[in-house]
This record gives sequence, C-alpha cells and structure tokens, in this order.
Amino acid sequence: MKYTFKVSPNYRTPLSTQQIMLELTLGILVVLSYNVYFYFTKVGTNYGFHAAYMILTSVAVAVLTEVVWALAFKKDVVKQLTSSFPWVTALLFVSMLTVSKPLYAVAIGSFVAIFIGKLIFGGFGHNIFNPAGVGRIFTELSFGGLVVTAFPDVVTGATPNTIMERLGWVIQDPTKVTAYLDQFGGLWHLFTGNYLGALGETNTLLILLVGIYLAIRGVLDWKVPAVFLSSIFVFAGIIALVQGMGWWYPVFHLFTGGVMFGAIFMLTDPVTSPTSITGRVIFAIGTALLVIVLRVKSNLPEGVIRSILFMNMMTPLIDQVTDGWQFKDVKKNLMKIGGVVLTSVATIVLIANLIHYIEPAKVVIPEMVIVLGDPLKIMDTVTEDMTEIVSRTDEGDIATFVISSKGYAVLYDEYAEDPKPNIFEIKINTVTKTVVNATYLTFSDTFKIGDKTNSEIFFNQFLNLDITNPDATIDTVTGSTYSSESSIRALKAAILALGQ
Amino acid sequence: MSFLTGPNRAHLNGHKEETSYNDIVRVKPQKEVYIPLDNGTNYVFEAVVKEGDLVKVGTLLGRRTGNMIVPYYSPVAGKVGSTKTMMHAVLKPVPHMVIEDDGTYEKVQSFKPLDYTLASREELVEFMMNSGLVGCGGAGFPSYMKYRNPQGLETLMINAVECEPYITSDYRFTETHLDDLKVGVLALLKMSTAKKAVVAIKKTKKTLIAQLKESFSDHPEVEIFLTPDAYPMGWERTLVYQHGKKRYNRLPSEVGYVINNVTTTISFAQALKNGEGLTEKLVTFSGDGLISPCNVLVPYGTKIGEIVQQIGGYACDDVLLIAGGPMMGKTITNDDFVITNYANAITVLKNEVIDALPCMRCGRCNDTCPAGLLPVRINNAEKMKDLDLMVKLNADQCIECGLCSYVCPSKIDVTEGVRKAKRVLALRKK
Repeated sequence: MKYTFKVSPNYRTPLSTQQIMLELTLGILVVLSYNVYFYFTKVGTNYGFHAAYMILTSVAVAVLTEVVWALAFKKDVVKQLTSSFPWVTALLFVSMLTVSKPLYAVAIGSFVAIFIGKLIFGGFGHNIFNPAGVGRIFTELSFGGLVVTAFPDVVTGATPNTIMERLGWVIQDPTKVTAYLDQFGGLWHLFTGNYLGALGETNTLLILLVGIYLAIRGVLDWKVPAVFLSSIFVFAGIIALVQGMGWWYPVFHLFTGGVMFGAIFMLTDPVTSPTSITGRVIFAIGTALLVIVLRVKSNLPEGVIRSILFMNMMTPLIDQVTDGWQFKDVKKNLMKIGGVVLTSVATIVLIANLIHYIEPAKVVIPEMVIVLGDPLKIMDTVTEDMTEIVSRTDEGDIATFVISSKGYAVLYDEYAEDPKPNIFEIKINTVTKTVVNATYLTFSDTFKIGDKTNSEIFFNQFLNLDITNPDATIDTVTGSTYSSESSIRALKAAILALGQ
Repeated sequence: MSFLTGPNRAHLNGHKEETSYNDIVRVKPQKEVYIPLDNGTNYVFEAVVKEGDLVKVGTLLGRRTGNMIVPYYSPVAGKVGSTKTMMHAVLKPVPHMVIEDDGTYEKVQSFKPLDYTLASREELVEFMMNSGLVGCGGAGFPSYMKYRNPQGLETLMINAVECEPYITSDYRFTETHLDDLKVGVLALLKMSTAKKAVVAIKKTKKTLIAQLKESFSDHPEVEIFLTPDAYPMGWERTLVYQHGKKRYNRLPSEVGYVINNVTTTISFAQALKNGEGLTEKLVTFSGDGLISPCNVLVPYGTKIGEIVQQIGGYACDDVLLIAGGPMMGKTITNDDFVITNYANAITVLKNEVIDALPCMRCGRCNDTCPAGLLPVRINNAEKMKDLDLMVKLNADQCIECGLCSYVCPSKIDVTEGVRKAKRVLALRKK
C-alpha cells in the first residue's frame, strides 16, 4: 500500500489547456472553412485551392519549426508539440493574410511567427508579443505588395477599409454613404463576409458566433472582446457625432478590417494580455483607442494587429499597475479604468475634429486588373436555352438586339438569392455584316469578378467583327470566364437571329 | 462589484451522490482509541484521569487549558493507558492518550442537562464551554469563544453549506436530527442575542430544504437561506457576502454575524438534552480510492486504517489519503492517524499523475479567488522572492481554499506557491 504525498488541493477541473487549445483550433477552422468555401464557390476554384494550400503551408511550417527546435534542444518532440500548440499560431497567422500571398511568403511568415514570435522568448507562455501578430506584421512589411502572378489579384487595394482610407475616414453626404456601402452590398454583406478580404477576417457574423460559443465553453473570457467591441463602437460613435455621420459609421468600424477577428481570437490570447480583470479591461480599451486612431489618422488603412502588438508591450506595465487586493481596490481600479476611458475619449474628440472628407480624385473603386485569356470561338458557344432575344429594332442599316443571356449567377451560383441573366445590347450593321457596338444593359453576375467583362478591353474585341466568319474568336477575360462566355453567347444569338 | 473581481467562486462536481443515500455504517475501534490532547496549537492539557484508571463513555479525561478551555470526554469504556506521541491529521506529532476499549460502551452522564428556555445567556455559554464543543466545520475552534461577547451581533448564521466535494456528513447528520437542529438554533440565538437566525444551505438540497422550512415554520426569526452550488460557498467570508453583501477584515462579528456549523449546532442541542459531550462523530469516507464509500459513525480517537478496513478497504495500491475534503484537506502518508472530534471527512483518491504546462497567464485563478487575490501574480512574486510585491498583493489573506489550483487549466500548483508566499510573510512578521 502506498500513500502518496501531494500538496492540496487534490482535485482539479476537467478543463485543461489542451482542451482549450483544441476547441480554439476548431473555432478558427470553422471560420477558415467558410472562407475557403467562399473562394471555391464565389471567386474561383483556383482561388479556393490556393487558400487551402496557404493554410496547409502555414501549419506545416509551424509544426516543422517546433520539431526542429525540439530536436536541436534535445526535447521530446511529441511533448513539445502537445504543450506548445504551434498550429494555433499558424492558423491565426494565415487567417490574417489575403488569398493572393505566394506560398513561400506564407511559409516564411509562419516560421517567423513561431521562431521569433514565440520560441526565442522561451516558448509557449513566455512570449511577449502575440506570435501570429508578429508573423502577420513581418509578412506585411516584407511581402506587402507581393501577389501570386498566376492569377490576377482580386483583393489588393480594394478592401472596404482601403477605400475608406482614401476618403479620409469621413463620409457625411447620405447619397455618398449609400453609394459607398452599396459597393459591398451594404452593411449586411460586410457583416456576413460577402466580400474579399483576409482569409479568416471577413465573416464578422460567423466569428461572433464562434466567439460566443467559445466564451460559453469557457475557452475565452467574454469580457475582453465585449469591452473592446463596445469601446470601438463608442469611439467611432463619437467621431460620427462630431462629424455628423449616422449610426452606420460605428457599425461599419465593427464589421470591417479584422476588428471582430482581433476581438475574438487575437485580443483574448491569454499569454500576451494582463491577468487581472481590471488589467484586461484597460488592455481592451487601450487597443480599441489605438485601432481607431491608427485607422483614421495613420497612413495605413488597418490598425488592429498593430494596436494589439503595441498593447502586448504594455501588458507588464498594466499588470504592475493593477497589482493589489481586488476586494479592497475596487474603487481604485474603477478610477484607473475611468482615467483610461477619459483619456481615450479626449483623444478621440480631438482626432474627430482633425479629419475631413477627401473628394476622391476620379474613381472610387480602383481599376481592376483585366487580363485577356483563352480565346473562345463564337460559334462554339451554346445558345439553346441560354439566350433569349428580348427585342429587335431596325434603324436604317443598323439592327439593335436586346438579348438576355444566362451567366455565372444563373448557371453556377447556387447561393445567389434571385439569380438573373445578363442583358446585352448588340448593334449589328446589316449591310457590312459587322458588329457596331456591344454593351451590358444589366450586369447580374458576381460583382468585382464577372464585371471585368464590362470593360473596353473586352468589348473592343466585338467592334467591326465580321459576323460571316465562322471561325471568329473572342478572348475571354481571365477570372471571369463565365461572364465572358455569357457575352459571347449573346453575340452568337444576335448573329443567328440576323441569319434568320 | 463582481465585474471587476470575477465570480470569486466556482461550481465543482461534488461527487456527493456516492454517500448521500447509502446506509450509515457504525464502526468500532479494534482495541484502543487514541485521544489527541492537542491539535497542533500547543495548548496545555491537564489530565484528570491517570494511567490505569477505568473510564466509561462520557467520563471527563482532562482539559485543554490556556486562553481557551476544552474538556475531553471519553469516547469508549475501558482502561486508560499510557500517553503516546503520534502523527495528527494536521501533519504534526501530538501526544495522544491511549484508552483500551472493553467493548461494553457503558455510559455515564458527563454533566447535567440544561433547558435553554430557562437558562440565562451566561449559563448557556458556560455550559457550552463545559461540554467541550468545538467547531465541526473542520477547524476545531472552541465554539463558546464566539459567544462570550455578543455585542453588536445581529445575525446568527448556521452553516449547512458543506461545499467541499465528496463530503456529506453534515447533510446526513442534519436530515436525521432536525429536531435537535431546531433546539440548537434557538439556543444559539438566545446566546448570541442576535435578532434573527439564518440557516444557509445549498439550493440543490431540495428535500432537506423543504424539511427545514417546515421545521422552522413557526419561527419567523429563522430564515432558510439558499446559496448557489459553488465552492467555497461555506467559507464564512463568502457566505456573509452572499447573504449580507458585506466584507470584513478579521472576524464576521465586525459586520454583526456569528457563524456556527450545522453539526456543531446539533451537537450542542444533544449536549443540552442528554448531558453528554461529543464522543461519536459522523464522518464521510469517500473517493474513488475506496471500495465502498459511505458515512461512518465512529467514536473519536479511532484509527483511520481500522475504519477503512471495516468498510471494505482501499480500491487501489497507490492512493492519496486526505484528512478532510480534496480541496483543503492534507494528504497523509500513512493511515495510522485518528479521527478527531471535529473531523468530518476522510477522502481517498486514486493517485493520478498530473503533468503541468507552463502558465499561460489566463487569469482564471484571479477571477475565481474567493479572497479577491491575484494568485498568479503572487506565484510570480514568490518565484522572484519579491517580498514587497508579496506584501502589496496581500498574500497573507489567502485561506488556501485550493480553488486557484483547481481552476488552473495548465495544472500548476498555484495554491502551493501562494502558501509559500504566505509563509514568507508570516516569518517576516515574527
């Protein structure tokens, strides 16, 4: 019989760090899965695959880095992995990248996140900065403009925040507000992630739901995201009040640029945030203040990760300031928080008076990169059940056709709410047998992808085209093959109608 | 404000069902009982009997004297033997008086019974002192001390919360002694001069709550107070805060409360009624290290090993033998120590290896600390031997409830770190 000695208590919660990390991993995977799926279905299969490869690369490199570290320092590899959780950092890191990053950039970033962000400080539990944030900033500084050349980038330079940045983070005119928000399908689309952005940051609603689940499961402390998000709302609300903007403005701040992702997954990283509740509240308010300041006043459109890393640095100081006896210090702690709130509000009021609307130079939406790709023989397209002649009017030699032709929305987009065919107007000179003009009347496919076809480069190919040539081809636009095909099909329908 | 301090408690899986419904087992010592003459606090024991004397159940053996007077009454009938120094449940060697049990359990009345309705407050306090009653919540503090100066007492609180996991002895003792409890509460109320009494019990004990409410239905001054099912709900400070939203510095009397454990209250009523001190204890033997967990009724002074043997033995070869519950009880490396007259539980758990991970600074210990301390910060201060920081963090306010270690997902012995810091501060004071 053996009576073992152990210090009390000899009773432990079933919740372990391993369990916490497992549930956190699943939470991030849910968010990432949505976006990979989004790329597969709404952008293009090649984008979907690339997104998946990015995730795999990031995780593989992170795990490999830890394995090599363990071997180099003669540690048990399995124990190293199961007590260091490199994949969590890797998944968080890759979530903050846009889909266009080359895999080697992802690999280097992931290595930096694990090695510089975590291991050199002494490993899990000892790092000062959020490792995923370190990797993200490193990647941005080193490979910021770098995109995969195999497919033109759909993301760079066109996120809601970059456009907002160009407008000076102020829009008062209600019509301009509507025009601005409508680019992305309104606040609801921003909320549900129906736009292009970083791999895991866009679907605010989904991240929020995952966050609520993780908070209920006790994986993360709800107070940190709750205080952070309300601070963002209040600070942006103050700017909206000062500048005479509506309620959409603070909501817009909440829904874009990784605020929700930062709140749920980055700010709640326990290792790099203060340990007392008072400390965590100050930490969350401080981060929110920095996010708003960096957004509206720095020359970069996004500030969530930067703000979090900066506040990580403040963590030891905050811990020191809040040391004491919590029961006795309730008033003192409330005053400390009050002080931080007052300073923040004063700063925000000051800044709110320093910003103004910037009239966009010419275009609000940056030009899309349009590249012509594979040629398609006009007569090879299928018109049966696909096109419909809406009307034909003849004026002298010119016959004007209005043709509806099914495009990506009708044929492939299972999730479009009310898919409609594209409507084209095609003018043909009945004497010279050439196309005089071709243009969209209504474009119904995916915004920012299919409407690359709605461009001069593409439609110029139609001009003066000899319709009697059975081998005539038109180059499709890369990345919007289906919309291109829809246009070419409409032309064929017009030619056939003319032949009859 | 609980937003800033956290919940300061946690719900634990109580494992109470294991011993809540099965039969109470009566256990007798095999040959001898060993009366601990001290509980590690270095009081002087003045023996009344000497080696070779014949005693009966209830015979006065002697008194602990000093600031506090505690008489001891024999739990068995038989012959007084020599005094032996043995390990005590508080992990200190303590002199024990050996009494050979002759197996007859012949009784003698220890003192005259007293009718609390006729007796004066002072008589009741003196009676309580002579009965040798000590707090049965686990601390063993002589109960009469709390009633000597009743000034400012407004509320008498009867603590039936029993928040340590595995322990059900208070619960089982109460459900079988409701009438005694009523007498005890009313007697203590008289002694305390408080206006009202509160019987605090976990809201999950539905049957007992109904019985208590019915029992006290003719006494509007007695409130049945339902507490959340959380740990350490039975700690005086947590309980007083839960009931009166008041915090105090040293003693609950500062905010008008006097608190007694429910078993103490019942035992007091029994002393009043029968004129006998506490010689038999209901003790919970539970945990996965025992073959058949149950509540045991046993004369105090009986060795743990003998009891375990009589109720079926250990379930495995490597156990944690804990005097008390698993949260605050200490592991003892042999089963040769005895049940004291204030013991309420022995918990035996399978010894499982726990691997600790590095602290990830999640702050769960800070949020759950019932004393409102910052255990992770105290641990760090202790590791760095930063004395000033330990003082600033009020490490001496820790009651070693164990909750910080319990909630730690990285399975770090947080409580042990705080305990060390507390010791450092205590040494500095000396």
